[in-house]
Amino acid sequence: MPQPQDPFYAGLGQAVRIGTELLAALVVGGGLGWAIDTYLLGSSPWLLVLGLVLGAAAGVRNAYRMAQRWPK
Amino acid sequence: MEESPLHPFELHNFIPISVGGFDISINKAVIMMWIVVGLISILMIMAGSARRLVPGKLQSLAEMLVDFIRGIILDTMGKDGMKFFPLIATLFLFILFCNLIGLIPGSYTVTSQIVVTAVFACTVYALSLVMGFVLHGGKFLGILVPPGTPAWLLPLMIPIELISQLARPISLAVRLFANMTAGHVILGVLFGLAVSGGLLIGWLPFAFTIAMNGLEVGIAFIQAYIFTVLTCVYLGDAFHLHGHEEHAH
Repeated sequence: MPQPQDPFYAGLGQAVRIGTELLAALVVGGGLGWAIDTYLLGSSPWLLVLGLVLGAAAGVRNAYRMAQRWPK
Repeated sequence: MEESPLHPFELHNFIPISVGGFDISINKAVIMMWIVVGLISILMIMAGSARRLVPGKLQSLAEMLVDFIRGIILDTMGKDGMKFFPLIATLFLFILFCNLIGLIPGSYTVTSQIVVTAVFACTVYALSLVMGFVLHGGKFLGILVPPGTPAWLLPLMIPIELISQLARPISLAVRLFANMTAGHVILGVLFGLAVSGGLLIGWLPFAFTIAMNGLEVGIAFIQAYIFTVLTCVYLGDAFHLHGHEEHAH
């Protein structure tokens, strides 16, 4: 049984996480922008664009925060 | 032989039950969940009943699992986190057993249904929100403002942090679901090739199926581990607001 202290498994866990982290933030940002565009303001497509930009920033932020917790 | 690789993920109701318009039929996934819960209960009760100082095989397996989960909690949340041990141990064992049991040919992987993983992820995230507001009150909204942010950056940072918070349950749910589904699609396609290839060439994809199954055992374990670690991290964030963050400077 692998131990959490084992650097191989800890590193593998971190590596698998980073991709989904980037993608999920982008989807949430774009989705929020798109939903407000379509259902609330009718300002398509500007909030979708803004949401995607903010989502990308949030994704990078999440990845950065993850890297700060990187096991040393 | 002309079967879609997604066919194994379709659910057919064995016993259709409908209560007030809600479909609560018994299907393959429900039965697999019962089996998993039963298996874990039997394993843990049997392992715990001996209580020997020098543990037998079963008892040392259970002790190893418990020690493993305890290690995760202590690493990510510190000593306070042990209050959540029952919740986190249950989540870890359930996901691990679902992942592993799904690898037995002919059975079903419950965690390849996004409903299941989404319910886990949303429960964990809702718990972390409720706990954060109970412990810190209105100050918990400060989780949206990273420490050291200048005031003129606030209009930019608050939407970004809001999105990064909302992305947490989604990435948690999608990661587990996608890894489990993708693994089984690959296994299905490879096995389909082996069957349609015949004896002459079919042994090659069949060998790959076996190798992939071995890899999937590792993935089953790693995904359960990641889900548990992230659960601890999110709960820990709500516990000590800005506690572990930004220490790198």
